[in-house]
Amino acid sequence: MRFDWSVVWHNAGALAEGVELTLLLAVTTMVISIPGGIILALMRLSNVRALSAASAAFVELFRNLPLILVVYTAYYVMPVTTGLNLSALATGIVALSLNVSAYNSETFRAGIASIRKGQTEAAYALGMGRWQTLKEIVLPQAIRRVLPVLASTWVSLFKDTSLVSVISVGELAYTSMRIRAQTFRVLEMLTAMAAIYWLLGYPQAKLVDWINRRYGVKE
Amino acid sequence: MSTVVAAPTGVRRSDAGVPVLAYRHVVKRFGGLTVLNGVSMEVRHKEVVCLIGPSGSGKSTLLRCTNGLELIDEGEVAFEGKALPRDWNGMRRVRQRMGMVFQNFELFPHKTALGNIAVGPMTVLGTPRDKAEKQAHGLLGKVGLADKAASYPFQLSGGQQQRVAIARALAMEPEVMLFDEPTSALDPETIGEVLNVMKQLAEEGMTMVVVTHEMTFAQRVADWVVVMDRGAIIEQGPPEQIFQAPTVERTRSFLSHLGWSG
Repeated sequence: MRFDWSVVWHNAGALAEGVELTLLLAVTTMVISIPGGIILALMRLSNVRALSAASAAFVELFRNLPLILVVYTAYYVMPVTTGLNLSALATGIVALSLNVSAYNSETFRAGIASIRKGQTEAAYALGMGRWQTLKEIVLPQAIRRVLPVLASTWVSLFKDTSLVSVISVGELAYTSMRIRAQTFRVLEMLTAMAAIYWLLGYPQAKLVDWINRRYGVKE
Repeated sequence: MSTVVAAPTGVRRSDAGVPVLAYRHVVKRFGGLTVLNGVSMEVRHKEVVCLIGPSGSGKSTLLRCTNGLELIDEGEVAFEGKALPRDWNGMRRVRQRMGMVFQNFELFPHKTALGNIAVGPMTVLGTPRDKAEKQAHGLLGKVGLADKAASYPFQLSGGQQQRVAIARALAMEPEVMLFDEPTSALDPETIGEVLNVMKQLAEEGMTMVVVTHEMTFAQRVADWVVVMDRGAIIEQGPPEQIFQAPTVERTRSFLSHLGWSG
């Protein structure tokens, strides 16, 4: 068997564009899903029954559906049922955000619940309101406490962006598969794809470990 | 009511004016358990009142009912002559004027010593950061920790953490300070530094309610000592009465259990 790695170099530009789109998908999704997850978690913890039930329903729905199904549904069904005609990229971001927000919600809920009552009481004793207590005291601690979980969600998300290739979003996986189809260099393209995902993912995981060591709350 | 209130024999330092805190027949239940059973007492301006008594006698609960961390079921707690509000926002405004120090310090672990002290004024009173931090530096100096401004709680000893917690409460410039067993979680060698700060506050005329097991502190610093047992006040009076000539047998037996011999 002969390898022809030149196919990778010849398509470096296209692959770079794929990488760019992969990063855009992952970053945009996380930027939406962190506040999304916090809002869902706060709804879930609220005393208002309707809010709590709505959040629980959302989380249990999107946590338990295969992501690829959500991607397809967003692409084919959403435009018909909502009249919303988004680009493939935007549709991909919507699908990923629904899934990751659901996961983040559970992460933040556990984080908020892990902050002991005395901290809230100390804030109340200073005269802080509920919202101030949440914003100044509970959330900053909860977020630091869940950093490792958010990090592993991020690493999963980074890889799961490849699933939106099924709706022709030209991210790294789609681009690699397209080049493979055009050149028949299956092994070279799969190897290139693996190398690129790994080289991008590994430093991120290490960076998050470092952030966690640096900013984690010590008691 | 089974409450026995011994007639005080001493004279209180300030008998005039509206008491800072007045408790009238306060009842608090947790489920079927009555933890405060008709407690009545007063805390007057610039007075140090120590609450003593066996564990589970309701001292801490009484303190927590004072700033609304617990809500009372019957009776009344009045702050500066006005019954405590029952609504959240009203209670919030009252809490801004009462400082509280907890047994386990409850410093905010994600903030430095300085940040812990400045966060109250900045968040609650809207004090600008530079002003709040300047005040915080001053308070750290007052509690003897001027060099620890940038330290995080985990880098401080228990005694240092508790002194920061006292400074944090003082930053709100409270009318009264509530201390909930402030030295119970401390190593013996750091208890003194916290008690000294409290003693200094008392000398400056801060009104203080202190739940404590430190009988020496109560004897030397308190103006008024309240002995509680099983949710009721069994005796109250000036420290000379409580520690030298208790009028109630249960006070005597409580003190002798602690090895107190006067």
